Amino acid sequence: MNNKYKILVVEDEDNICNFMKTILHAAGYQTLVACTCSQGQMMFSSHKPDLVILDLGLPDKDGLEFIKSAREHSSTPIIVLSARTTENDKVTALDLGANDYITKPFSTGELTARVRAALRNAVSTSQLNGSAEGKFTLHDLVIDYNRRLVTMDGKEIKFTQTEYNILKLLSNHTGMVLTYAAIIREIWGINDSGSIKKLQVNMANIRKKLGSKPGDNKYIINELGVGYRMSEEGL
Amino acid sequence: MQKYKEKVREGFFVLIILLIAFFLNLFLVELFQTRTLIPMIFVLGIFIISLNTQGYFWGIASSLISVLAVNYAFTYPYYAFDLITPECVSSAVVMLIVAIMTGALTTQLKQQEKLKSESQMERMRANLLRAVSHDLRTPLTSIYGASSAIIDNYDFLEDDQKLKLLGDIQKDSEWLTRMVENLLSVTRINTEDVRIAKSPTVLEELIDAVLVKFRKHCPEHDVTVTIPEDFITIPMDAMLIEQVLINILENAVYHAKGMTELSLTVHTENDMAIFEITDNGQGIPNEKLPTLFVGYAGAGLTPTDGTRRNMGIGLSVCSTIISAHNGNIWARNRKEGGAVFGFSLKMEDTYE
Repeated sequence: MNNKYKILVVEDEDNICNFMKTILHAAGYQTLVACTCSQGQMMFSSHKPDLVILDLGLPDKDGLEFIKSAREHSSTPIIVLSARTTENDKVTALDLGANDYITKPFSTGELTARVRAALRNAVSTSQLNGSAEGKFTLHDLVIDYNRRLVTMDGKEIKFTQTEYNILKLLSNHTGMVLTYAAIIREIWGINDSGSIKKLQVNMANIRKKLGSKPGDNKYIINELGVGYRMSEEGL
Repeated sequence: MQKYKEKVREGFFVLIILLIAFFLNLFLVELFQTRTLIPMIFVLGIFIISLNTQGYFWGIASSLISVLAVNYAFTYPYYAFDLITPECVSSAVVMLIVAIMTGALTTQLKQQEKLKSESQMERMRANLLRAVSHDLRTPLTSIYGASSAIIDNYDFLEDDQKLKLLGDIQKDSEWLTRMVENLLSVTRINTEDVRIAKSPTVLEELIDAVLVKFRKHCPEHDVTVTIPEDFITIPMDAMLIEQVLINILENAVYHAKGMTELSLTVHTENDMAIFEITDNGQGIPNEKLPTLFVGYAGAGLTPTDGTRRNMGIGLSVCSTIISAHNGNIWARNRKEGGAVFGFSLKMEDTYE
């Protein structure tokens, strides 16, 4: 046995499997491949991979089925590979419990970065048991969770309670996309018709306070029509 | 409900025309002291009715009413019905024939018009397909050629030669991706009713997403952005509008030769958001301006400059997307040199 991370790739296209195996292998991961949804489900329960990369368009069943069945008893991170460019499919997959998504076609860097972020998040949430301890640092931005203090370049930035909560939520899931619905559920609890607008306005204020300009958001990346993602160092 | 309203509207129309015919006849009888004009006036009325109503029903109904009216008011015995005279029967037959023939004629006309617009759509689609297949073949040839070259000559090629060929493959596949994204956008709109799913999108987030994507494609070009400070949301299909902005920006990169400045500004006018992309390149040749947004539908199917960057497809996709949003799109040359592409979208009220 080795201590490499085990990644299960559920994908029916041989060519795509091929190059993903190469990329993941080069990045130091052990890779398993399943060609159908049911084979994937079987290998998922027998091999207990650390991460799953799942294609949504599988020959036997919709990949969403896989997410549903996996989430019944496991919190293993799932990254969805989607050839569909509509936001709705991504949002559905994320809300069903997928942790992240990559739209085909993607680059090597994109794939390994997402894999790394998903694995790290899985580790940190299991170790910290969901509670955010200590500090979060990204470039010159520091969030001190204990003192509820946000500083940039050593200077304090004042955030409202809600803004701070959103910032904390996103920083707890660095590198992962959180859907509008997921953020709203965490911050306000209920999801009514005005929620998205409330969230959008709060995000606009956060961006302003962080000094972000369009095309130059160092901290929070917006995934149009899907949600937001806290950026991570080295991306 | 809609159909019912339409029926009521047509009924009113028929009633008014018949009343006009009736009273005009009363007036003319008084004026000229002759009854020769009566059938003509009614036939004219029936003709107008059949022409402007759906199907045969109103035409036939009004011809029967006309026969009754003539019989009642204008033939002996006056102001009483006498339906069995041969005169009455024959005038009824004539009016019925007029009604039926006009009805048939107009129905045929309407069908022909529909067919014509359908065949126009079909032709546009065929043209798009032809242009796209032409455009797809070039990068595919290059990908196929480059990859076979590497496989067949793996041991003889220098590393940097291999890298160059692989780089070409990568570039061509990126280009193919963009082309396919454009085609997907079109299929997303080109369904029966041109309806799109709009959701309120924050302007700043849209521009941010566009710039991030554009920088990935064309890292060597900088875009100067000017947008209002206020929090603005615009109802739109964000993916499609993103596509429009990317297409126009990339169009400038590929076609505006000598460009050093590229800017994107958004301002609001009443309840409209106006997007404008300005460059200081060579401008658009005047003869191309009128057909710029119908690129593939026009004659110039093959790119004239020898490159395969036939953004004609990109721009016609833009115009399709914007018209699906009920907006306007335009392009013009600047006096100072360079071109401006712009489009407008209807806006929501600002928040707070």
